[in-house]
Amino acid sequence: MTNIFTAPAIAIDGLHHSYGANPVLRGLDLTVQRGEIYALLGGNGAGKSTTLSALLGFLRPCSGSVRVCGTDPVADARAARSQMAYVPENVSLYEHLTARENIGYFLALAKAERGGDAIEAALSAVGLTQAAKDKRLSGFSKGMRQKVAIALALARDVPVLLLDEPTSGLDPRAVLEFNRLLDAAREREVAVLMVTHDLVSAVDIADRIGFLSEGKIEEEQTASTAGPRFDLNALHDRYTLVAGAPA
Amino acid sequence: MNHSHSLWRAEASLLLRSNRNVLALILLLVLSAASVWSGIVQVQDQRATIERVEREQVRDLAAVEEANAGPEGEAGYNAYYAFMLTQDPPPPLAFAAIGQRDLQPYVLRVRALGLQSQLYDSETYNPELALPGVFDWAFVLIYLLPLVVIALGHDLVTAEREGGRLRLLLSLPGNGLWRRRVGLRYTAVLLAIGLPLIIGAMIMAAPAVSIATMILIAALYSAFWFGLAMLIGGATRASTTAAATMIGCWIILTLILPTLAQAVIARAVPVAKGVDLTLAQREVVHHGWDVPKEETFARFFVNHPEWRGQEEFEGRFHWKWYYAMHQVGDEAVAADVSAYRDSLKKRETMTKLLGYVLPGVGTMNVLHRMADTDIQGQLAYQDSIAAFHTKLRQFYYPYFFEEQAFDHSDFAMIPRYEPRSSGGTPPTEALAALAFLSLLVLALGSRRLLNAGREQGGR
Repeated sequence: MTNIFTAPAIAIDGLHHSYGANPVLRGLDLTVQRGEIYALLGGNGAGKSTTLSALLGFLRPCSGSVRVCGTDPVADARAARSQMAYVPENVSLYEHLTARENIGYFLALAKAERGGDAIEAALSAVGLTQAAKDKRLSGFSKGMRQKVAIALALARDVPVLLLDEPTSGLDPRAVLEFNRLLDAAREREVAVLMVTHDLVSAVDIADRIGFLSEGKIEEEQTASTAGPRFDLNALHDRYTLVAGAPA
Repeated sequence: MNHSHSLWRAEASLLLRSNRNVLALILLLVLSAASVWSGIVQVQDQRATIERVEREQVRDLAAVEEANAGPEGEAGYNAYYAFMLTQDPPPPLAFAAIGQRDLQPYVLRVRALGLQSQLYDSETYNPELALPGVFDWAFVLIYLLPLVVIALGHDLVTAEREGGRLRLLLSLPGNGLWRRRVGLRYTAVLLAIGLPLIIGAMIMAAPAVSIATMILIAALYSAFWFGLAMLIGGATRASTTAAATMIGCWIILTLILPTLAQAVIARAVPVAKGVDLTLAQREVVHHGWDVPKEETFARFFVNHPEWRGQEEFEGRFHWKWYYAMHQVGDEAVAADVSAYRDSLKKRETMTKLLGYVLPGVGTMNVLHRMADTDIQGQLAYQDSIAAFHTKLRQFYYPYFFEEQAFDHSDFAMIPRYEPRSSGGTPPTEALAALAFLSLLVLALGSRRLLNAGREQGGR
């Protein structure tokens, strides 16, 4: 039996999934350890969102296995979801609630009620001003909404973070702040899987970078502990090749 | 405060922060209150009319007695001029479901002449009332509540998907999100439609059990529409599509199909007009003046042989011949009357069957039967008038045929009408059919909503 304390935070093994006759994941293997930040890069249709859906238990894989802290998200979705927080791309929470109310509401839904201090701390951590915390989201920019969603993920205080294009819509300063938050999460032994197009951001923060192509990891690179963390030029060339984008 | 309570509170807060939801609920509350108020006013008007006619009746009878009763008094004159009051006071639940009561007579003064010409003499609908129908609580429940349910429930899933929140919501470990949201909307709708009814019932002193049954009926009917909202909302990916489809269902289920079905029923079961019975009866009576009196008495004795041998009289006119002529007139149209009533009952039966498949029609049938304001109630009032009229004739005939004087003591013995005991009970079969249909659609809708959440979350 898997020990949830020693099992990898995320373990995907030989995952296959198709939408009808269209195969999307073709034997995906992916592991993320506690205290590790993994950036999954890939072009459109590479299977990034499907990978997240599999981790969240939204779909039943054709074959292969998925585990979150040792739990199968399809067999026991509630247990698996209680271990992870998900930040979707282009998130928009409830427009007619304030940032603080939104966090409180979603925490209640997640059965993760925190005191006002924890919500305050999470909102401060993402850099929202005091005035913004009590402002309705209808007046927020895309970047500010993203910050609220990230604050929600932080407030849940779970061992796994799943981030879908987390820096899209954030201004450069906010990206730096965001990276600092991820650093702090790593120190708290949180495993982070971020799906992104933003190679530069991934290079800045990720411990490992995987290139997803045609439903499986084509290549994986680990950050160097000495000198530059990654060879950005080499990664760029590789990414361009995998994603099919012009060089 | 436990976790469950705080979640419900959070959902309630979310529901009430939406202007659309609040507006829809307030509108339903206001319409429900207005319809109950309107129903109470109509019932009070009817009661006031009955009381006013009762006062006039006392004066009328006193005048007839003074003019015609005494040592030389003739029963025939008294029977001719003494209109006796019959009344059908509004049943306790009529304020909520007026039914036929705004169209059909609830006060009728009858005398010992031919009954049929009197029963249908006032069968003239006010077209201005008949055209728009009646604005009562049953109307708000059946026709307007579904629109509020559509406003509150058509986009439960699609709004979350369009708002970019669905995947986030589904990624959370808590469960029962849709159950809570539907449950909360369902409760809010029931409160908005039910509270005015309860207050109205307290004002009108309606029986608590009957009002509880009416609330149960509203709960079942609302469950049908919430089930449909979940079914359609879960099967579509855009809120506008879901709303348009729901409105289409509302038009078809509450307007088009009932209207078409009623047209088919009307064509399949033709019903003569009551006024035709009046005219037919009058024709026979008028013809009676032109035929030999022996012929009239011969027809009269077929059903009233006890008066045979007492038909002789001197002169050209006698009350016994006159009233026998009216009796014969009634009996001549008895078959037509029976056919007329059978047709009405057959239509009622077919409408009842229609209610088994159309929840709006079923709900209306059940409410009107409970309130005793349907055709069945109207026929029961006519039956009670007919029974009273028979007593009236039986009272007068000895005076006519035995040629007794009619003095003040006789006048005091003229039978008085006792109002029928009204108040219907819920028809069990129709209620069971409504419950089955509503719970089936609710179960299918719940299942569809859960699956839709998962399916749309995965994409």
